[in-house]
Amino acid sequence: MSPALLTLLCLATAPADEVVVQPKESLADVARRALGSAEAASELRAINHLESDQVAAGTHLLLPGPERARAMSAMASARSAVHQAKAGAARTEASERLADAERLLAAARYAEAAAQADGAWKLVSQRPDDPSRFAVQVGDDGTTRVRVDSGIPVRVEAEGRTRAVSPGESVLVRRGEAPGVPTSDEVAAGTAALEAPLLLSPAADVRLALDPKGKGVGPLRLVWRAVPGARGYLIELKGASSQTVRSARAEVSFAAMPTGTYRWSVRAIGLEGALGPPSERALELSTSSIRLDVQEPSWK
Amino acid sequence: MALCLTLLAAGTACRKASPGGMPADAAPPAAARATLQQLKGSVSVKRAAADDWTLASEGMALLENDTVRTGARASALLRFPNGSSVLVGEDALIGIAETQGAPGRDRTDLTVRRGTVDATLDRPATQDLTVGTPSATVRAGREIVFQ
Repeated sequence: MSPALLTLLCLATAPADEVVVQPKESLADVARRALGSAEAASELRAINHLESDQVAAGTHLLLPGPERARAMSAMASARSAVHQAKAGAARTEASERLADAERLLAAARYAEAAAQADGAWKLVSQRPDDPSRFAVQVGDDGTTRVRVDSGIPVRVEAEGRTRAVSPGESVLVRRGEAPGVPTSDEVAAGTAALEAPLLLSPAADVRLALDPKGKGVGPLRLVWRAVPGARGYLIELKGASSQTVRSARAEVSFAAMPTGTYRWSVRAIGLEGALGPPSERALELSTSSIRLDVQEPSWK
Repeated sequence: MALCLTLLAAGTACRKASPGGMPADAAPPAAARATLQQLKGSVSVKRAAADDWTLASEGMALLENDTVRTGARASALLRFPNGSSVLVGEDALIGIAETQGAPGRDRTDLTVRRGTVDATLDRPATQDLTVGTPSATVRAGREIVFQ
């Protein structure tokens, strides 16, 4: 039995925001089944930090949370508004914003996609009578941050590139560089840095004697404290058998693992699929003592 | 008037002195680009042609290429003739209406070299404001109303 098969997540059923890959299913099949569109495979790949579309049957994949629905809704509103807008600079700019939103959605960066879609909507729905308020902040190195609080969008130009910044958005411009993509203040708040998980069990540098299971030992259960704002965790084991798995909970179990030394690390996965800093520990797996119960042979 | 006519006839100068003490053929006084209001804390102004900083005063008119500096916990409001206003925060250094912008850059109403400014356009459909910084040009108001 291969190490991959030896390793089985003990979670028998997937939580509501997870999906289990079925035999002979591709990532596109899973996306179609779980999200209603094969095109959403790129989102699953991004959320789960997969390197390819080939996923083994039985793998638990994280699904997008409610932020995806909000992004889809914002994009639908923006598409409609752009479609109805008169031709002009605003419509052109809004169309570019929508294209940015599509790219962000494909990368599972839902809050940013929603913000870009909202920005596109505002560009074609602006009311020039509202007072315009914005702030310009210049750092010692010349870096400029422009934040728009209200009114019609403000135009920020640098290095031949212009960005329209709508109310509720900020843009950063570094010296000698074109303006970055405007970001929603809500998104900036929502993507605040995730904490490193506090690892609970097993203890650091512990030697675990587990029962023999197949060609390895088990079960191995890793536990850590839940991280605020995390919607999942990426767990990496490196050692006798390297594994990378995801879990929606602050724990994961392996039915069997080859004996040997390992380093295991856990990183929180944020709403946008961003990874927080890792926490890491070492452990050693060995076979528990085998008790031999030798009895007197009857033939003696 | 009669004196002037007399002097004019003599081929000399009514030109030599004007009521303000400036030569009559000199350039007219530069128009104020902005007015300083609501001064708080240490606010200094350096005139375009001056080498030294002087303390700002309430209602002081700012001319092209004047520079305003605010100290710690200081602030000042710049009111532009079109009604737009800019609140200059602490530890800021700003310049007024460059007559000649940097090569390849458009003229600006205000240059922020350091610090934070909060701009307000009460009627953006009829007002505009352009803020230059070392890394970008920010345009707001009438100029960017699309269509």
